[in-house]
Amino acid sequence: MPTSITIATPSARPAVAARTRPTSLGARGEPFLWALGGGLALGLLMIVGFLFLVFWNGIVTFWPKPIETVTLRSGAIVAGEPTRSNNYRPGPEVVAQLPEAEKAALARRDGYAERTLYRTGNYDIYNEDFRWVSDFEVAKTERPGGFYFLERLEWGPCVGTIKAVEAGGRKLEGAAIKDEAITALHRTARARWAEIRAIERGRIGDVNHTLEKERLALRRVALEAGAGSEAHRAASARFEARAVELRKAHETLAAEAAVLKAEDAKDRITLAEVGGREKTLALSAVVRLYPANDLDLGDRIAIYLGRWLEFLTDEPREANTEGGVWPAIFGTFAMTLLLVIAVAPFGILTALYLREYAKQGRLVAIVRISVNNLAGVPSIVYGVFGLGFFAYILGGSIDQLFYPERLPSPTFGTGGLLWASLTLALLTVPVVIVATEEALAAVPRSMREGSLACGASKWQTIRNIVLPRAMPGIMTGLILAMARGAGEVAPLMLVGVVKLAPELPIDGYFPFIHLERSFMHLGFHIFDVGFQSRNSEAGKPMVFVTTMLLIGLIALMNLWAIVVRNRLKRKFVGSSF
Amino acid sequence: MASVIDKDGPAAGAKTLKRRRKFEMRRSVIVVDRIADWTISVGGIFVIVAVFGIMAFLAEVVVPLFTGGRVVAAPPAVSKPLAGRTLIDKVDEYNTLSVALSDSGQVTAFHIGTGAAIEAPAFDLGGQRVTAFAQTLDGANLVFGFADGSVRFGRLTVVSSVLPPGGRPADLRRLDGRDATDGKAIYSTITDGQIRRLSVATELEPPRKIADDGAAIVAIDYRLGGTVERPTRTFVTVDAERRTRLNRTETRVNMLTRQATETVRSATLPPLAAGFKVEAVLITDTGDQIYIADRAGTLLRFDTRNFDQPTLAETIDVVPGAVEITAIGFLIGEQSLVIGTSEGAVDIYFRLQTPGAPTTDGFRMIRAKSLERQPAAITAIAPSQRGKMFATADRDGGIWLRHATSEQTLLRLAPASDRGRYQALVLAPREDGVLAIGENGKVHAWQIAVPHPETTFASIFGKVWYEGYPAPAFTWQSSSSTDSFEPKLSLVPLIFGTIKAAFYSLLFAVPIALLGAIYTSEFLHHRVRAVIKPVMEMMASLPSVVLGFIAALILAPFVETWIAAVLLLFIVLPLTLLAAAHAWQTLPERAALALDGVPKFAFMFVVLGIGVWLTTLLAAPFERLVFAGDLRAWANGNIGTGTAFTTLLLLPLAYVAVAYGGATAAGTRLDALFRHADRLKAGGMAFGRWLVYLVLALVLAWIVASLLTAIGHDPRGGVVDTYVQRNTLVVGFAMGFAVIPLIYTIAEDSLNSVPEHLRAASLACGATPWQTAVWVILPTAASGVFAAIMIGMGRAVGETMIVVMAAGNTPVLEWNVFSGLRALSANIAVELPEAVRDSTLYRMLFLAALTLFVMTFVINTLAEVVRLRFRKRAAQL
Repeated sequence: MPTSITIATPSARPAVAARTRPTSLGARGEPFLWALGGGLALGLLMIVGFLFLVFWNGIVTFWPKPIETVTLRSGAIVAGEPTRSNNYRPGPEVVAQLPEAEKAALARRDGYAERTLYRTGNYDIYNEDFRWVSDFEVAKTERPGGFYFLERLEWGPCVGTIKAVEAGGRKLEGAAIKDEAITALHRTARARWAEIRAIERGRIGDVNHTLEKERLALRRVALEAGAGSEAHRAASARFEARAVELRKAHETLAAEAAVLKAEDAKDRITLAEVGGREKTLALSAVVRLYPANDLDLGDRIAIYLGRWLEFLTDEPREANTEGGVWPAIFGTFAMTLLLVIAVAPFGILTALYLREYAKQGRLVAIVRISVNNLAGVPSIVYGVFGLGFFAYILGGSIDQLFYPERLPSPTFGTGGLLWASLTLALLTVPVVIVATEEALAAVPRSMREGSLACGASKWQTIRNIVLPRAMPGIMTGLILAMARGAGEVAPLMLVGVVKLAPELPIDGYFPFIHLERSFMHLGFHIFDVGFQSRNSEAGKPMVFVTTMLLIGLIALMNLWAIVVRNRLKRKFVGSSF
Repeated sequence: MASVIDKDGPAAGAKTLKRRRKFEMRRSVIVVDRIADWTISVGGIFVIVAVFGIMAFLAEVVVPLFTGGRVVAAPPAVSKPLAGRTLIDKVDEYNTLSVALSDSGQVTAFHIGTGAAIEAPAFDLGGQRVTAFAQTLDGANLVFGFADGSVRFGRLTVVSSVLPPGGRPADLRRLDGRDATDGKAIYSTITDGQIRRLSVATELEPPRKIADDGAAIVAIDYRLGGTVERPTRTFVTVDAERRTRLNRTETRVNMLTRQATETVRSATLPPLAAGFKVEAVLITDTGDQIYIADRAGTLLRFDTRNFDQPTLAETIDVVPGAVEITAIGFLIGEQSLVIGTSEGAVDIYFRLQTPGAPTTDGFRMIRAKSLERQPAAITAIAPSQRGKMFATADRDGGIWLRHATSEQTLLRLAPASDRGRYQALVLAPREDGVLAIGENGKVHAWQIAVPHPETTFASIFGKVWYEGYPAPAFTWQSSSSTDSFEPKLSLVPLIFGTIKAAFYSLLFAVPIALLGAIYTSEFLHHRVRAVIKPVMEMMASLPSVVLGFIAALILAPFVETWIAAVLLLFIVLPLTLLAAAHAWQTLPERAALALDGVPKFAFMFVVLGIGVWLTTLLAAPFERLVFAGDLRAWANGNIGTGTAFTTLLLLPLAYVAVAYGGATAAGTRLDALFRHADRLKAGGMAFGRWLVYLVLALVLAWIVASLLTAIGHDPRGGVVDTYVQRNTLVVGFAMGFAVIPLIYTIAEDSLNSVPEHLRAASLACGATPWQTAVWVILPTAASGVFAAIMIGMGRAVGETMIVVMAAGNTPVLEWNVFSGLRALSANIAVELPEAVRDSTLYRMLFLAALTLFVMTFVINTLAEVVRLRFRKRAAQL
């Protein structure tokens, strides 16, 4: 820079000063920069903190925790899994009864005290699942061996020691209670329980299903030919004969199940909670049991993975706060799949029409703005539309035309899988239109013109030249639509999602895919367990896992969109003219 | 090659050949092309129409809310001469059969559609004529008063039973498509071939003497009450000597012997003045109030809560001058009193607890509503049995159907011929028919459809004076367990809730998102940007149910425990950042340059961490200083003053004022001073100036706040008030998670799309990056940034799950950040699954959806138009 110095020298100001102080502090705006950067940092911290909260809680939920027995100053003993602890301000009436030393300690901490939440289980005995224990109440905390954690079919978990196990005609007591022995007995009992369930749900279910179908067929005849007509009388007689047959089959199966049940009732386990109260229950009603304080790492990992497996493949229990979320996973996937099937052709057709066929003018510009806007219309509005139009008007008409024998109970005339998918398809169609249009616009004009010049028809040009090149954009749009659809809950609450669906939308009964059935959904599962269950504290860990699953699912779809876009882009990069 | 040969073909086809070559294309290609053309056009137009059809469909469902009623059918008038005056007429639940009762006890029943007579047992009143008569609201229980001072109870019911298909007796006379009769009953064919049989039954009890001296009963009213085991009958009589008696009989049935014992209690009300012409006496359902109306226009209200000592609570003149009261009656629920006058006015009164009321019981009768006037004197009022609808008839034969809540006149009916007074007027139990018997014994009937009488545009968006409310109000309360409940369907609290949630969440989200966007676009290394941007984009697709769950179950209890610290965070974080920035200015030039970029950004995280740590330290002293030690009690208004809190609210404004004042007073001199100092000194001085300004601003804000407190201003009751766990603060915070990524992404895009040459030119002219960002980039991208905020607002307005879960769903009309809210979207999600199809609530919720649709559509269109303009401008640059 010597030249600049020579130029600057003749001026009145000393050049050196000008060089070292080129700008004032105000011009740099350092405080403002920090405000900007601080805003970004805060936003990022919030997001990272949020994800950490969800994933940490989701991951640790299934890890088997030790059982602590806490002896209180009052002499009472509490046994349970410590779940979390926090600071709180004890009320004045509690503080007043404390010894002086504790009072002083509290005062030093501005009146705040530490407390721990123990999962004590045994809801049937205590009438609560959880218990807060303040640190100042505690005399001593231990982790004694021999304490078992039991997950049950009903009443939530159970914490205590095993007094006796009675199974297969023998009784284990005292020292005879060995882990391996219990595990083996438990496995047999569970296998028998699964067998009973298979009879009751599967085979008896089949019989009931057939009976119901026959009844509806009879009613249909009555509606078509008129009650009391010749055809109806004949059908009625046929139905009676068939019904007798089916009822007999039902009785046979019920007897078979009853034999197994009688055997099942003999296998029992007796537990004692920490205060000594005993409780006997059927061994088959215990889903899982483990000695919480006597596990090595391998055991813990096995339990952890077992719980995950149960969560992913089993049905929910206890008002959705325990068990698995398989129906919800299935419902979410089925709905998302149907959504794509519905949204893809329509979204792409519309974009093609807007970009390739319609005359570009003011009207198309307005339509385009409107379509963009529809992406911002609240999802609940689509839900309202779905309920009013799809379920009540379309579904109601379908019921009257095709299912008159089931009325007044609605078949398609209420929320269901089909209507939910269509509603979400409508909700996401703007996303697909916008993405496809952008992708179509990105195909250079020269390629279209080249194709047309070679004698290809308009459709041939679109099919062979334009669409393949626009494919990455279209796929991205579709996947983003799926991601949006999978995460929406509000419209589903109106058009067919339920807290507990007795049957999956796909099963072994004709026509195998039941689009009219209501279904479960991961997002609604979160809402339901977090807000409408008996004990939201008991459900909270499950909600965290479900949340993690849902976020993971959506993040996966988003990542997939990015990968697809990149791969297709690469595929077409080399193949240009 | 074939075409080449073709070209050299017969010369005769030279001209056609040219054409043939041009169009030579396989037929299948043409067909496919046509099909594609057609499919794409039809499909495309279909989707566009379908999407716009949503709005049309919502509107179509909503429209019936604003239409009044219509007459479905008006069967021709039939003549039913009764011996004597008609006391009442009764219509059954299904609007099929009508029963009229005359003052001689004669009962006439007939089919409404055709007038065909049905046999009905008469009341044998022993030849006496009825001088006073009353019935319960359902019309089944009657009481007659006689000239000899006795009363008789009776029952007149339409018995309805359902017979199985085929249970219909033979040889019936067909009346119309549905009904047939055998002269004793009407048989209607209903769903599934079942038969409904309707017939009339009467019961009469022996007379009881009420007035010992045989004075005639001139007015009477009667209510049933008590429980099934212990039914009570309360009735009040006024006799010709103007004595008013209140009687209550209680029947106890002995469970073992099945023997009923009856106890009678009786009390006498304060006497009426001479010349008092009793128009009517009314008693409430619970028997705690008695109203006696004088024809001359005075209404007396007696307080009978203490049965043995009834007192005259209030005397009011309800009509002016010579106008007379000509009709009076209760609406369902027996809180509202409808009074019709000789001038045709129809007013609604109810009892209201008013402090300092000049009455004995602290209540006052208030004229809440004056409905549209009828052209002639009102002669009859017929209330509905299921809502606040009622019919009024005038002397000229006009019958108006009105609704008390919406104050609208739904229908104006008048018989085609023979206009005149009516002996009786009745509204069918399901509000689907009106029946009137004229003076000449002619029966006029109308079948009507009034599906949504309680809503008008004014009742949905304006203030409505509901029964028992101290003043007209905006209220949303859609359902209750009792029939007599008045649904309160004002969308205003819900729209307010939506706006409140959006406002507070944007207040939190917009600064963070915009600051972050500017920093990312202008000051961050592009590699760091390449990581941060996709993360933020991904966050935009986070399911809101997840955010709602975290907000309600994790955040809300956390904020509740640490509320003072959370509020302090809003002060400490900016101050820490600014302090750090000033400290950074004192760094030696070389160090500052070396650490610029990523290390500086990393350091900002550290500073935020320090800010949080400081907050936890300062939370308790802060709560003592500003909130008198307990924020919740303070917010309730129990302790402390609002001065300190107002000071904090005013602080940013005061700082701007002080800084501006400082700059005008000594700006140039200070600048010169800074310019000549070295970096450390200049930085130190800037730091000092900042601290001085801050202190001055604090002092200024405190002075203003003290003045405001002195003149009685208190932030409590405004933006802060009673604390509830699920509040707007939590909602705003959670919604921030949903809105920040959206605003951030769009704003960053538009900032980033400002052409690079503008940036380069500005920097080349010697502007600092900060100056470039603020004076060049931001103004250029302003419309894009605005569009980003609008789109964020659209999302905040329509967000459902977060507000359902975290907002507490209380429809309140206050800006209090510590209270909950009920948004349109949340209201739909909560109430629509329970709403009956096509009911008023169902249509109201559709209206809510339409409102939401229109709100977001307007916001988004605005954003879109601005954004398009920005794009055009950016392209021109």
